[in-house]
Amino acid sequence: MVIAVILVALIFDFTNGFHDSANAMAGPIATGALKPRTAVIIAAVLNLVGACLSTEVAKTISGGLFDDELITASIILAGLVGAIIWNLLTWLLGLPSSSSHALFGGLIGAVVVGAGFASVNGWVIVSKVLLPAIVAPVVAGVAAALATVLAYRITRRTPSADSKTGFKYGQAFTASLVALAHGTSDGQKTMGVITLVLITANLQASGSGPQPWVILAAGLAIGLGTYSGGWRIMRTLGKGVVEIETQQGAASGAASTATILASAHLGFGLSTTHVATGSILGSGVGRRGAEVRWSVARKMVFAWLLTLPGAGLVGGLAALVANFGTAGVVALLLLLAAACIAIWALSRQHRVSHHNVTESREVLVLAAASQTTYMQDPQVTTTPKPKQKTKKAKAKSAA
Amino acid sequence: MKIDWGALGIVIVVSISASVLFMILLASSIRLLSAAKVRTNQGGSGTVMLSTGYALLALAAFLVLFCIYLIVPQFH
Repeated sequence: MVIAVILVALIFDFTNGFHDSANAMAGPIATGALKPRTAVIIAAVLNLVGACLSTEVAKTISGGLFDDELITASIILAGLVGAIIWNLLTWLLGLPSSSSHALFGGLIGAVVVGAGFASVNGWVIVSKVLLPAIVAPVVAGVAAALATVLAYRITRRTPSADSKTGFKYGQAFTASLVALAHGTSDGQKTMGVITLVLITANLQASGSGPQPWVILAAGLAIGLGTYSGGWRIMRTLGKGVVEIETQQGAASGAASTATILASAHLGFGLSTTHVATGSILGSGVGRRGAEVRWSVARKMVFAWLLTLPGAGLVGGLAALVANFGTAGVVALLLLLAAACIAIWALSRQHRVSHHNVTESREVLVLAAASQTTYMQDPQVTTTPKPKQKTKKAKAKSAA
Repeated sequence: MKIDWGALGIVIVVSISASVLFMILLASSIRLLSAAKVRTNQGGSGTVMLSTGYALLALAAFLVLFCIYLIVPQFH
């Protein structure tokens, strides 16, 4: 049972990796600061390194969120199933949601259904999950905006060829740091869950931190996820649709890294997706003449709001199934496998279109800060799919 | 259990000041290195600018390493 939960937790970590790796590396690939292949390898390695750096967030999850006296392994399993299914579903639909919130939502839903409201420490959730979720993107945005303004002002009289090259290196560097921070922040979430399982199974003392092998396994899983899935997403993203300048890229990368690492150090379980988006928007505000599409930002906020309750619902349903003893757990695992295969098959079947949806959403994030104009067409917002196809066709013919 | 406003405040201050500081160092270094190149091309001596530029770059790298050092518990 414990082994099954740990495996499922590592699967979640893997989906987290490929869901989020574009956050770090889409920018530098688009500006040409890094080659796609180099970028994913750097990201994967730094994910692993980052995961080994700190354990504060893991402790928040394993030690503070829930009353570990009342939690069982099957409840955690249900929560993970909710998180994975939500993650894959949003990936399939192209919703730019947060893997971290999927995890928290799934766990909270499962715990509430499985063990009652009393076993959730509401204030810890507000203090360490909800509040940072609102504050961190804003902070990252402000930091990125200030950094962007400074970058342009300081190098105002520098020949543009020189500053382009310089900031290209800067962007490659800060993007690598974002990958590192992603490993630190998100890798720890899986560690926290595995540790929580070990605690509930009485294999580890309550309130203690993650074991070394748990840290290593979580780091490897998220690194592999970044390498594999990220490769696919980034290949579509790297086709020159995203146009932020290298200065903005460097600024937003620095801001994301600083925000994520500082929060991770203090045990806030915030979302890398939210922070990366906030800082890219910020870098758009910071550059004169850059257009920020706030309608797009609003749409994204809506998707974020949906994630916690959505994953919570799936997690709660999963907990209902898991409550039927061993048979329920087996059924749940089979359901998860079936869901994964079905979603994977769907994504293969509609490979181009679904990838384009993902692409267009992800690009919306980045395009919000760039000067690409194709989103101004009102038709696009309602029917992104066909437009994306033509966009891709155009890119092909141009190549 | 109450909300940890102090920690939140630290995150805000540290994030913004670290990004801004990093960017000042990076951008200044790029500006100096470029200016040094221009001056050398014009036949002058850009040694001071060049070395200051690289020094700032090193300082930026040091800033990053120091911040990472701060958060790794094994180093304390």
